[in-house]
Amino acid sequence: MLDPDPHAANRARLVAALSRTSGGDRSALREVYDLTAGKLFGICLRICRDRDAAEDVLQDVYLKVWNRAGRFNVERASPITWLSAIARNAAIDWVRSNNPSSVAATPGGDSWQAEPTSEELGAFETLEAAQTRMRLERCLDQLGPQQGGAIRAAFLDGFTHSELAARLSVPLGTMKSLVRRGLLHLRECLGDA
Amino acid sequence: MRNGLTPEQDALAAELALGVLEGADRAEAQRLYLADQTFAEAVEGWRFRFGALHETIGTEAPPPGVWPAIEARISAAENIATVSKLRFWRRSAVLSGAVAAALAVALVLPGAPDVRTVVLPPDQSAIAQLNGEAGAILAASYTPQAGQLQIRPVDLPASELTPELWLIPADGVPRSLGLIETKGTTRINVPLALRAYLTDGAVLAVSLERAESAPHKAPTSTPIAVGKISTI
Repeated sequence: MLDPDPHAANRARLVAALSRTSGGDRSALREVYDLTAGKLFGICLRICRDRDAAEDVLQDVYLKVWNRAGRFNVERASPITWLSAIARNAAIDWVRSNNPSSVAATPGGDSWQAEPTSEELGAFETLEAAQTRMRLERCLDQLGPQQGGAIRAAFLDGFTHSELAARLSVPLGTMKSLVRRGLLHLRECLGDA
Repeated sequence: MRNGLTPEQDALAAELALGVLEGADRAEAQRLYLADQTFAEAVEGWRFRFGALHETIGTEAPPPGVWPAIEARISAAENIATVSKLRFWRRSAVLSGAVAAALAVALVLPGAPDVRTVVLPPDQSAIAQLNGEAGAILAASYTPQAGQLQIRPVDLPASELTPELWLIPADGVPRSLGLIETKGTTRINVPLALRAYLTDGAVLAVSLERAESAPHKAPTSTPIAVGKISTI
């Protein structure tokens, strides 16, 4: 039988380090950093598309973690999801305030980078969380590269409707309804399972 | 309708969670988020679902300089928090006049004990590195023989205002050491009365001020960089 939570120890270590960080323990923040910086840097790089910027944003992210660790609620969120959301928001803020037009200026062809469903368990993922994720990924794959790809890109690259439209060189209205229809399908797909 | 929303409303919740909305669409969705708990819960549900996609992003080791920069910024933020808490920092323009008046009164009171405190200037050189949360860095050194303090901005955010250097000894009252150049080394002849304060634990701080009226009695804004003095 599969171990339902092979990464429980990892996660417990991260939760404990976050808890100590909220008490002002710098070595605890260092531990959070050592456990998660690679992951969060990946997120920042993907959204900022600029190494120097991603490094600066990563600093901001851990300063935010330092100041907000007390708000992390283990009952409500997984630690890595909570940290990833901070990284994503910080990187999107950077893009919005520094080069609002750069992304829109580069059409990326008529589709998105293919993102095959990752069957591996993430370093902090429970088996249950991985199953939920894989179900979402399969539903996105079913939508096809255009719709599913747009939804993935919106989340992972931080694109808005108009950035997605510029990227695919389609009118804004077309992109809005493409995303809307995609989400309606996604909703049904997730509800059916 | 798992959650009581129509499919369209639920899709709007997903769009807000996804971050694709802009302008009026976004404003409307945010209004709903604040006004309608069912909608807000749907948004959080989608945030949670999409959040799992972060697992698909590969890790990338950040360069080794990132952690020391984070630590330096935490130290800087803590120093600034300390200085901002000093009771005289914000209102010293008003208070320092009152304090001076009170001292003057004390000095002329008949029968006041004749106590003189002689503070000798430290004969040790002193250095300080000033850091700010927004990335400002300045290096300072003090040569007691010449009574001269040198300060050089390493990195300073651009501003229309001019940096002004403050010396804050243990009493928490900032004393202006005047304006400093934004580039290169500024040499400051420290007034005799202030030299004794340039010792371990005193704080140097830089705030951005209007050049015309400098030096000021008190800073008008939160310091952009702060550092403790260490004698060497």
